[in-house]
Amino acid sequence: MSESYDFLFKFLVIGNAGTGKSCLLHQFIEKRFKDESNHTIGVEFGSKIISVVNKMVKLQIWDTAGQERFRSVTRSYYRGAAGALLVYDITSRETYNALTTWLSDARMLASQNIVIILCGNKKDLDADREVTFLEASRFAQENELMFLETSALTGENVEEAFVQCARKILNKIESGELDPERMGSGIQYGDAALRQLRSPRRAQPQGTQECGC
Amino acid sequence: MAAPWGQIQRLMEVRVEVARQREMKWIDMFCHWDKWVKHRFQKVKLRCRKGIPSSLRARAWQLLSNSEELLRDNPGKFEELEREQGEAKWLDIIEKDLHRQFPFHEMFAARGGHGQQDLYRILKAYTIYRPDEGYCQAQAPVAAVLLMHMPAEQAFWCLVQICEKYLPGYYSAGLEAIQLDGEIFFSVLRRTCPMAYRHLKKFKIDPILYMTEWFMCIFSRTLPWSSVLRVWDMFFCEGVKIVFRVGLVLLKQMLGSVDKLRELQGMYETMERLRNISPDTIREDILVQEVSAYGGRVHKTCFCFYSETRVISHFILSWLILLSSLPLSVSTLSDVLLSRSSLSQ
Repeated sequence: MSESYDFLFKFLVIGNAGTGKSCLLHQFIEKRFKDESNHTIGVEFGSKIISVVNKMVKLQIWDTAGQERFRSVTRSYYRGAAGALLVYDITSRETYNALTTWLSDARMLASQNIVIILCGNKKDLDADREVTFLEASRFAQENELMFLETSALTGENVEEAFVQCARKILNKIESGELDPERMGSGIQYGDAALRQLRSPRRAQPQGTQECGC
Repeated sequence: MAAPWGQIQRLMEVRVEVARQREMKWIDMFCHWDKWVKHRFQKVKLRCRKGIPSSLRARAWQLLSNSEELLRDNPGKFEELEREQGEAKWLDIIEKDLHRQFPFHEMFAARGGHGQQDLYRILKAYTIYRPDEGYCQAQAPVAAVLLMHMPAEQAFWCLVQICEKYLPGYYSAGLEAIQLDGEIFFSVLRRTCPMAYRHLKKFKIDPILYMTEWFMCIFSRTLPWSSVLRVWDMFFCEGVKIVFRVGLVLLKQMLGSVDKLRELQGMYETMERLRNISPDTIREDILVQEVSAYGGRVHKTCFCFYSETRVISHFILSWLILLSSLPLSVSTLSDVLLSRSSLSQ
């Protein structure tokens, strides 16, 4: 197995039906637009290793069905997600209006510390735009989200969205704001050696099984 | 190595002859359908398991599901539904899904083509027929498969039967029925293939993660096409238990031996395998054979009891879950089901 990485992050892709969640994931992983695609029923998966600030990070991405009806099913998979792409369609105000619900779901069910990037997808369809960049970036600011406009069709900002989100998580780990050891953080070490390197900094009161010497 | 041409030709002739005979048998059944269903259902079942001749499949599905009768009893109803406006909230999602059904199929490839138009017609009609149910995205592939075989009006009534008679509650808001069936499926798996069961449990892969699409789309997006048709033939005849059995066979094929599990050392790897079933893992004839074989064993009790009382059991279970503060193990239900041998047909 040539798969080696320093961290594994669990990511979610959420947002209304038809906003292009699966296409974003496909563009990120395969680097091309999936023109003929099925809509997602339940949950789909994807994974990719990316390099972020000298670290190899494996993203394990859970792509969820967008229809309201499936929420009862998909919600149960929010638990333990470290990051999320919250997707709306810039040509559909309705998908933008739904963001608050998605956001509160994610914060409540995944974790308070989940790092979320807002993605205004279908940037290529600027002529049909219903949501301005300014409006969405204000929303992002108010809700402490990162924000990008993306195009799963052209690939613009797609990789960036995932990378930025991962970078922020890494920063939070470095600063100690996020503790990968905590249950449900959505973060795992890729390598046991790394764990040993990192853990001495934290004095854990009950970390008895941590040390093997 | 290659068989001599004459031999191949003879073999072909035999196959054509067999196909012709099957068609004749089915046409004969169509002529006396009620009698066949009433008095010789076992034979009908057997013939469905052998595969319905493709030329007669549409008619057979409609007869098996009783949708033909429904159509007869409701003349003009479909057109009436079509004339109504429909609710925008449903129509919006339906429109988004039209080009996402079997995009490689000739019928549905063209945007705004006949296939997509018909799909819109029947999905919209359903939301007006059952405004309380509306539209569920998983209905679209099911409707599309029906449309590949029959005109819109027939497909509509067939869809109605699937949603209301075969898989009641599967597409309803809250998706409780499918979640419950997921739990029941998992507890049946414990008995039929403990190795797969333990593996899934070990990696915390809930049934809902892999069986939602399998069950809701009746495997239409999962299996190779020829297998899909064979599964649907059996499903229309025998009902939801076929869906359960196919699911069990798939899990057994993919997770049923130490060898197969060796390379699936994690949740993600396992999910990848379950979501991308390679066509050569599941051969059509083996699949049908295995699905049929389940009938003779102990599980029959469970399936029969289950399908007869699924509505009641759903109801009771939801209440049990609601009322009980104890974590309810659905395997308890399965035990109850299995012990009710007297209910086996």
